[in-house]
Amino acid sequence: MTHTIALTTPAIWNPARVDAANTDERTLDQFLKSVERRALRMAELATGNRDEALDLVQDAMFGFARHYAAKPAADWAPLFYRVLDSRLNDWHRRRSVRSRWLAVWTRNDDDDEHDEIAQAPDTNDPGPLLRLAGSEAAHALDAALGNLPLRQRQAFLLRVWEGFDVAATASTMRCSEGSVKTHLSRALAALRRALEDHA
Amino acid sequence: MNTNNLPNWTDRAKSLLDDSVRDLDAATLSRLNRARQAALAQRAPRRRAAWLFVPAGLAGACALLLAVGVWHSQRPPTATLPTSTPVPAVAATTASKSLNTSDLDMIASGDDLEMMQDLDFYAWLDAQDQDNNG
Repeated sequence: MTHTIALTTPAIWNPARVDAANTDERTLDQFLKSVERRALRMAELATGNRDEALDLVQDAMFGFARHYAAKPAADWAPLFYRVLDSRLNDWHRRRSVRSRWLAVWTRNDDDDEHDEIAQAPDTNDPGPLLRLAGSEAAHALDAALGNLPLRQRQAFLLRVWEGFDVAATASTMRCSEGSVKTHLSRALAALRRALEDHA
Repeated sequence: MNTNNLPNWTDRAKSLLDDSVRDLDAATLSRLNRARQAALAQRAPRRRAAWLFVPAGLAGACALLLAVGVWHSQRPPTATLPTSTPVPAVAATTASKSLNTSDLDMIASGDDLEMMQDLDFYAWLDAQDQDNNG
């Protein structure tokens, strides 16, 4: 699995350099620092609220440090995102229950409602984002990602942003590789549609 | 398609997402830093506690050894008869019992204990008496 680090990370995280037997606080700190911003962004896209996103990231950090920090450093990234994914799912479930109790009807984002694989667009097309200027493209992407169902968004962010392969994404999301492909395919189709509308 | 078999426009999406986390405000960065430090801190006591078991275990083992040693040193010595002459088993047991009894008597009496401390002197005195009688 290839795990690339974004230029935005304050310190370059290289799991190959870490000796699992000598894992110390500093190494763990460096790792958490390298993923915290993207984790926050993922949580913020899921919750739409920065404070709640920060709470979720903190929970994920606690859970990861408590249960998985002793694992080999090469496995840290998928494990951290698995903890975060679990927290996001819990948050989503709680919110759904609360919404049901409040009888607030929201858009039905059931992943299995429509099979859009057959309607997937041509992947060689430059795509809608190139037709949008910098900040406009960022806002359009932000809005489109925010409207995706949780599982589709996670599949997209883990595959596209984190650079996880299908197997690592499936492990992180605790689902089959087939499900990852389905979620991703639907996410790409939905994003493309949303961004085309925006352009 | 890019190298990950994803549409080309996803490269642009990735770049936009990278940009979106580049300039976070100071308050958010501070909160993230505190969250990270708290996560590390809640893990640290577990590791320290694990290391504390080593000296604690060693100290416990030493204390146990010391207790066993003291207990052994305070046990009354078991008298044994010389084995040069064969002694019937019943007689040996009786003698052993009588020796043990006399040992207990000596231990119970403060005078006898003092005498035992000057055992060499009494042995010399006994030898002198035998020379005088002989």
